[in-house]
Amino acid sequence: MPDPMLPSRRFLLRRSACGFGMLGLASLLRAADPLAPKPQHFPAKAKRVIFLFMHGGPSHLDTFDPKPRLIKDHGKPLPFKRPLTFAEGSTGNLLKSPWEFRRYGQSGLEISDLFPNVAKHADDLCIIRSMVGDSVAHGGATLQLHTGSNTFTRPSMGSWVIYGLGTENQNLPAYITLKPGLSHGGAKKWSSGFLPAAYQGTAVGLGGMPLEKISEPIEHLQNQGLTAEQQRYELDMIQKMNRNSTARWQNDPELEARIQSFELAFRMQTVAPEAFDISKESAATRKLYGMDEPETADFGWQCLMARRLAERNVRFIQINHEYGPGNEVGWDAHNELIRLHTRTALQVDQPIAALLTDLKAHGLMEDTLVIWGGEFGRTPIAESVDGRDHNPYGYSIWMAGAGVKKGFVYGATDEFGYYAVEDRMHIHDMHATMLHLMGLNHQQLTFNYGGRPFRLTDVAGNVATKLLA
Amino acid sequence: MGRRLTVALLILLAQAFGQTAEQSEYFEKRVRPILANRCQGCHNPKTGKAGLDLTTSTGFRRGADTGPIVVPGDVENSRILQVVGYRERIKMPPTGRISEEETGVLLDWVKMGAPWPPGINEVAATSANKKKGYSQAQKNFWSFRPLHQPPLPAVREEAWAQSPIDRFVLAALEANQLSPAPRADSLTLIRRATFDLTGLPPSEEEVRAFLADHAPDAFARVVDRLLASPRYGEKWGRHWLDVARYADSTGADEDYRYPYAWRYRDYVIDAFNADLPFDQFMREQIAGDLLPPPAGKGVNTAGIVATGFLALGPKLVAEQDKVKMFYDIVDEQIDVAGKAFLGLTISCARCHDHKFDPISTKDYYSLASIFASTKQLSQIEGTVSKLYFAPLVAKDVAAEYEAHQARVADKQKEIDAVVGAEAVRFRDQFAPHIAQYMIAARRVYREGAKVEEQALGGAVLQRWVDYLKPTKERRPHLEPWYNADAETTQTIAMQYQAGFITEAARRAKAQEEFRILSGEARARGEKPPMPPKFLSGENRFFTETATGKGPLTLPPKEPEKLYTEESRRKIEALSAELMTIKKGAPPEPPFACAVAEDQPVEQHVFLRGNPDSKGEVVAKRFPTILAGEQQEPVRSGSGRMELANWLADPENPLPARVMANRIWQGHFGEALVRTPNNFGIAGERPSHPELLDWLAAEFINQGWSLKKMHRLVMLSSAYQMSADTTPIKREKDPENRLLSHFSIRRKTVEEIRDSLLLLDGSLDLTMGGSLQKGEGTDNEFSDGRKSIHPDDSNRRTVYLALRRSNLSTLFTLFDFGDATTSTENRSQTNVAPQALYMMNSKSVAEHSRALARQLLLKDVSDESRVNRAWVKILGRDAKPEEVRGSLQYVATFPAKPSDDEGRVLAWTSFCRSLVASNDFIYIY
Repeated sequence: MPDPMLPSRRFLLRRSACGFGMLGLASLLRAADPLAPKPQHFPAKAKRVIFLFMHGGPSHLDTFDPKPRLIKDHGKPLPFKRPLTFAEGSTGNLLKSPWEFRRYGQSGLEISDLFPNVAKHADDLCIIRSMVGDSVAHGGATLQLHTGSNTFTRPSMGSWVIYGLGTENQNLPAYITLKPGLSHGGAKKWSSGFLPAAYQGTAVGLGGMPLEKISEPIEHLQNQGLTAEQQRYELDMIQKMNRNSTARWQNDPELEARIQSFELAFRMQTVAPEAFDISKESAATRKLYGMDEPETADFGWQCLMARRLAERNVRFIQINHEYGPGNEVGWDAHNELIRLHTRTALQVDQPIAALLTDLKAHGLMEDTLVIWGGEFGRTPIAESVDGRDHNPYGYSIWMAGAGVKKGFVYGATDEFGYYAVEDRMHIHDMHATMLHLMGLNHQQLTFNYGGRPFRLTDVAGNVATKLLA
Repeated sequence: MGRRLTVALLILLAQAFGQTAEQSEYFEKRVRPILANRCQGCHNPKTGKAGLDLTTSTGFRRGADTGPIVVPGDVENSRILQVVGYRERIKMPPTGRISEEETGVLLDWVKMGAPWPPGINEVAATSANKKKGYSQAQKNFWSFRPLHQPPLPAVREEAWAQSPIDRFVLAALEANQLSPAPRADSLTLIRRATFDLTGLPPSEEEVRAFLADHAPDAFARVVDRLLASPRYGEKWGRHWLDVARYADSTGADEDYRYPYAWRYRDYVIDAFNADLPFDQFMREQIAGDLLPPPAGKGVNTAGIVATGFLALGPKLVAEQDKVKMFYDIVDEQIDVAGKAFLGLTISCARCHDHKFDPISTKDYYSLASIFASTKQLSQIEGTVSKLYFAPLVAKDVAAEYEAHQARVADKQKEIDAVVGAEAVRFRDQFAPHIAQYMIAARRVYREGAKVEEQALGGAVLQRWVDYLKPTKERRPHLEPWYNADAETTQTIAMQYQAGFITEAARRAKAQEEFRILSGEARARGEKPPMPPKFLSGENRFFTETATGKGPLTLPPKEPEKLYTEESRRKIEALSAELMTIKKGAPPEPPFACAVAEDQPVEQHVFLRGNPDSKGEVVAKRFPTILAGEQQEPVRSGSGRMELANWLADPENPLPARVMANRIWQGHFGEALVRTPNNFGIAGERPSHPELLDWLAAEFINQGWSLKKMHRLVMLSSAYQMSADTTPIKREKDPENRLLSHFSIRRKTVEEIRDSLLLLDGSLDLTMGGSLQKGEGTDNEFSDGRKSIHPDDSNRRTVYLALRRSNLSTLFTLFDFGDATTSTENRSQTNVAPQALYMMNSKSVAEHSRALARQLLLKDVSDESRVNRAWVKILGRDAKPEEVRGSLQYVATFPAKPSDDEGRVLAWTSFCRSLVASNDFIYIY
């Protein structure tokens, strides 16, 4: 369509080219794409992370950290002074695990009957039994797990990873969190904090939201009134006007960048919905993830999405088991440990096992780091007789995939499972280790803000070299 | 404590030189290897964690920050044994507990007096750690120097210099062989000025009037008009709210609402509109509650509200370590006040002396002492600490309201007691028949018998059926029941019944004992004992059936039908009394989220920021680099009033510099010091240091008037320059630090949303008040959370509630910041999700469509419609070729239906394309 009011595209390109030539370095940097892929600090296998967040705090004593001493001393008082707990008035005596632990695989890792399906992958797991955090309340602990700080507002770990590595797929958000909860830190869990907003996580749905309500996985991705042809027509007009004003202001780099952002947005519109469309997945795949059963359908969808996003090179993928309708308090079993943990484990066990199987089948285990864990574990002493209280002093998470030892146990708690005593891994250490596995040196990944450089690991953090493969 | 340790240290020193050979050998062979392998990695002279050096006997004897780590012979009080025992908050070594054998070695060693033979090269070192004053160089750092108004520099192009400001700008340009851009055209200028001062575009009439006004003072009159508009306070108040990290909730863990935060926001807007002198503005925000009330008023309401500046920070209300929580609040206040008024990152000195600036931990804790002596919360103890809301009425009026609230609560308690007794009566009436009901229920849920056909019949049985019906879930306390066979059913049901009755009796007995004991205690004038606590898991069957919605609780529908006649009468009478009390209710006083005076604390330095490691006691005073070594410490009260007066003292060189810099930033996009919250060593240096000092001094000379400063800045040639640049300027000064042209800027999120709402005339200019309802936190899907969606209101964006943990996407998308820490400058990004918002959001679509409909409604030509759109959206007439291009656009819009809807579609799309264009989003 010839348009007398606008310069020709070729003319514009020529102007642009020499426009860029005239630019100083600083302006170029200012307009540079914040999400462009950046090199690792050193070679490492993991290209992306899938973080399975178990909100509420799964009991390590009933899942991945067997304690025979609790069987022996069941019902007896804790033989040392209890540290600060959350429910100060309701704690009682030692409580043995109601579940049996069995040895699995060649490695013989001990895993409880709560995770019979995940247990089949024992030889791929690297169980860390010595996690330590600083908060006994959910809010602080959840914030620390996600941002390193239980006090201050800091960027989330996913944002740090994107800041460090950029993304190799600009058509999708680099950092996606599926169905995150809005409580206990809310959006701070995926916020970019003081890092530029481009490093913010994109929330797809919210915790407790039924899957069918997630009509638009990414906000503003679909135009409601226009066909693709009409929208392209409209976009051409926008871009002509924008090229015109860019030329008017001597090819201002900010304005140039805005033109690029519209083209990228247009591509995202077509590419991103495909990533979230699981209609082409086979019935067998859906079944593998438990999407045909009401208990596992929701988390199964999240796990399947995690694989699809991993395939598409999304850098940081978080999936969340949250409180909410149908889940009650999730893992947070202050009461009725047996009922609540049975139910919650049932919801996640098969989907997680399916994810591990499927990642392997797609060859993605080689360059994906999977991390499973909650904001803390639970106490060896009972709360309200049949539940357990929060325990940040020693608990378990596990890792699997790129760069970590397989069928391996790292660290240990004391014989009651209260304190981590061997190879203690503070949340800062976990972050340092995660970044290391991604090829990032946690001490070099810094951002200047308010007069000083900041890191995900604050002034702490040691890489747990013993668990590196 | 201190004395005991001193004595211990003396003993230790004496022993250190009187050791036996065996002791030395024991140390070298058994103890030193443990220290070397397990401790010295961190506790060495280089890293010296906790101030402890365990590589030499001197270091060992000196101990840690907290004092000696061994009390010779005392295994109970020797710190080293406590920390390796792993039963304390601090556990050493942090990487894992040492073996029992190693613990034993250390224990024996302490028992024998902890002998450590001195090394050959060790000389008893004297603590050479005495702090001298700050050096001259530190005192002379540019921002700490006393403020003087510098003379105006000479320039060549005198004619360009309309204002003193221009001389500084021009001098710098000339020194770099650059010349200023020409004056912006009038249309650009009035758009720029109107957005800068009000956050909105100029109206069509305002533009036409200005374009037609050729008087020399035409622009000055525009500036005056804008400064007089209430929209000014909404725009510039928002700049300050960024600095004050304003929000309507606590953020952090639980995100509790601040139900009265809006009063502070309105106070700020009012203060800017009224041109409240900035020194007074500072004073009120730190200590407004302590300032005298205005004449004729009993209470300084504005002053109390102003302290919302301190009170509205993020708070971790569910933190269980309450000391930490409290000092985090104090720290946050030091941080925001330090950055906002002094441009200093004082809170960096919480754990150690500031790494860059001359601010010591002593300075930090002197300030902490002030905020720690301030009332921050109404109740600290408890799972969730309670926020403090200050009544904005006289004390006696507030007290009367509280007494009334207590009377209502007491009466309600009496009613609840009668209902509670009825609930127990109902329960106990059915308790002896539990087994029967269980067996009947089983016939229903298992064998398909009908409820109404059962002998027991009725609603109670149906509730038993609902309760006992097996689910997919494991309910371990019901498993014996589910596992019972035909033979054992009766016995097991009876066991449940007996267990229930025993538990009910146990609880009743404990309650009764408590009643008697607390009665006796009250009679003696003592504190009553704690009420008995019943744990839900003690008898889960009882808990589930007798509480909540269990089958042995009063039915939810019409329970009063089951009450005795006497209870019914009692409740009736009590309810009537309650009504009478409520009728006589005094009006609820207005409240503010504010701070107040509290008991002054004796504040220690916390070594490494740890409240458990107390160092020296500090006086309440101000950072010595600015206030000097010789300060009279504050002796009574919290010290906030003194702090406020010190900040507002014209002799204090920082506040005027810091604020002058912010004013500049509000007009030019970039400030003279591009780290407006950090005027310290690690901050940037000013691009025009003399200009900044000149402005700061002028600010004070002008009585700290913001409006006079705006006028001064906007009537300069520097402000009125065009955004046109040249290749040479880009080459020499790519960041435009020298101000050779105006820097274009993207609209803020407020400007984007407000001008969108303005397009179709839906912007509601009502001022003030709250758009947020209720208190407390939100559930995952509560309406309270939904209500904060920006599309649900047509009010200006500054009035939308800001929940820290859940800012709406619009805010995060367009670089609002996080409303949690002081925002010194918003970033301006250009990313694809913003483009998606323009292309696809409901909001942009709806306003474009509404405008399109308005355009089509008028019976005019398409040419004039195009021009209306151009004027409405971009604030200018369309050029002839733009009109042609636009007409072609709507005419050839692809695949549009031929009806009216098709026309609306094409025109909506056309309007949206203008809205999405740079000319709408950018200010030139």
